[in-house]
Amino acid sequence: MDSDVSPLCCCEYFDNNNERNHILACCCSCVDLDEGVESLITGHGFPEQNRSRLMATLQDRLRIPWRGGAKQVSFDAILPVFILPLMFILSSISLWWTIFSFTAVVVILASVFRFFIKTIPQTKFFVVWTITSIIILYVIFELIVIPLLEILFEENVLLSVFFATFLLCFYLMKQRNNSLGRIGESEAESGFVGTGTRCYICQVLVPDKDHHCVWFDCCVGRHNQCLFILALIFAIASLVYSSNLTLTSVCHPFIFYKTILLPDDCSDVYQQFELGLSFVSALYSLGLATILLILLLHQILLVSVGLTSKEWRNLSFCAKCFLGLCSKRPHNLGFLRNWGRIMCWKRSYTIPR
Amino acid sequence: MMSTRNVWIICGIIVTIAIYWPTRHARRYDYIDLKDVYKELQFTNKLSHLRNCNYKDVILNNSDVEISEPKNYFTPEHGGVHKPNHCNPLIKVAVIVPYRNRSLQLETFLNYMHNFLQKQYLFYRIFIVNQVDSLPFNRAKMLNYGAKVAIDMDFPCLILHDVDLLPLNSGNIYGCVSKPRHMSSSVDTFRFNLPYLTLFGGVVAISSQHFRKINGLSNHFYGWGGEDDDFYKRLTINDLSPCRFTPVLSRYTMLFHKKEKASPNRYDNMEKSAVLHKSDGLSTLPSNYSIKMEKLYTLILAS
Repeated sequence: MDSDVSPLCCCEYFDNNNERNHILACCCSCVDLDEGVESLITGHGFPEQNRSRLMATLQDRLRIPWRGGAKQVSFDAILPVFILPLMFILSSISLWWTIFSFTAVVVILASVFRFFIKTIPQTKFFVVWTITSIIILYVIFELIVIPLLEILFEENVLLSVFFATFLLCFYLMKQRNNSLGRIGESEAESGFVGTGTRCYICQVLVPDKDHHCVWFDCCVGRHNQCLFILALIFAIASLVYSSNLTLTSVCHPFIFYKTILLPDDCSDVYQQFELGLSFVSALYSLGLATILLILLLHQILLVSVGLTSKEWRNLSFCAKCFLGLCSKRPHNLGFLRNWGRIMCWKRSYTIPR
Repeated sequence: MMSTRNVWIICGIIVTIAIYWPTRHARRYDYIDLKDVYKELQFTNKLSHLRNCNYKDVILNNSDVEISEPKNYFTPEHGGVHKPNHCNPLIKVAVIVPYRNRSLQLETFLNYMHNFLQKQYLFYRIFIVNQVDSLPFNRAKMLNYGAKVAIDMDFPCLILHDVDLLPLNSGNIYGCVSKPRHMSSSVDTFRFNLPYLTLFGGVVAISSQHFRKINGLSNHFYGWGGEDDDFYKRLTINDLSPCRFTPVLSRYTMLFHKKEKASPNRYDNMEKSAVLHKSDGLSTLPSNYSIKMEKLYTLILAS
């Protein structure tokens, strides 16, 4: 350890060798790179040990400024920060670019999903994806769509209320998850008694674990399923509402049944970059809303029939067609009590053995 | 020294205020209610011994007009003039449309407007002011030419109309009230909202007397934008703050929905123009224009 004990500034950190380092120096003095390149030039190839140490150094130096010292971020976690803005910018060029980049992103996600879950189960890739999406969508709405001067104050406030409620549910859900007993703690310490499922990703003991939601980086179990459902509802509400506001602003709207405004002609949105960007963000929101709606309906079904996601996955196709009503449901307490159970969860609640 | 926490709180408050600042949004506005519109209208003297046209019912029986609905109207007299023959019109109005190179829109506009105006029992004439030079389009100057010709023809009320806007409410009466009136406050491309309170473009009704008082519009606005804000400024300087009718009557549709950023910050050369309004406008308009009578409109060729 260095003898200097003054507190770190936001851009400093202790590196692998426990030496004080600064992020601005990230491209300076890398012994392994020097040696590797030297041997490469002299025709000996890049030695294996240099290569692995180089990767370790890279990983170590990839940091963002943070209070009390720069924080290390893993490579997979910062990927969405580049992929998403790139997707938005490319897809606002023209309709074909939109189709191309949306398809590309779906393909990337589908391939990355299996790979990350198998190899690095603790990856923050998905939660960073969620947060980046939220920030991008909100910034586009407030800085590009609102200045078109077509949205009323009340409409903006209503959207913000939906959005804030979603964020609150999301936060409470994470907090409840973090307050659960750690794996390895005794029952007395963890505060509740009974069977819980271990979640090795969040390192906690989850009561009636439903599934681990990678997008929220949080376990969904009986303790937060109610918040999870609420978060889904408000996320869908804000996505659908913001996309409607955006589309009716950038496209030509019409009044549907004298009440709601819907878009009917979006042919010139790609002529201006800002309009294209807003349009694309609305499409992305609608896509997300559709996926979340399916997830919400699935959750409502599972809670109603008293199954967990894992049990549902193990059902046969035929049993799924009957909504799992004819299969064995060990946790089922009946429709009303199933809902009551997730709504009135208390920390001291004892799970019946 | 302020703690970090307080700094965060203050930043949060500033950002919140900036996000929800009212002028960043479309605005709600004061308007004349549907039932009060009739009282506000200004009428001309009786022309004939027929009974007077009933404008009250035109306003109160307000309904939505379908754009695609068939247009069967009485062919107007040469020059696009029409007056109802079963009753005595109390509203005499000149519809002035600045125009250049949009023949398709003009055709749609004329068919639609003759039908629309005849259903309101108005004595009207449509003026199309065509800019014939190759300079950028000068909407304000064209409106001045139209107004000059209309005032010479003794029209007491002027409607300054964009060719790409069509009224959607049959009760939106094309007449003047005691103040200048902004008529297109609820346009579909703006989500039927008003972008900002001082907007005074699109469709505007102003009495000839007021138009002369403010010396018309500035002749110096070439290209798009700014002239309507200058118009608004001229009105406020002369204590003629404009009014609006209820949104129920003020809906318009924009043909060929081109999107242009509405911005209230186009005050560059306006300070000067508004101050100099006595020496720039109707009074300094050159007289190089010619009038031609067409089948559906009076054409003014100007530059």
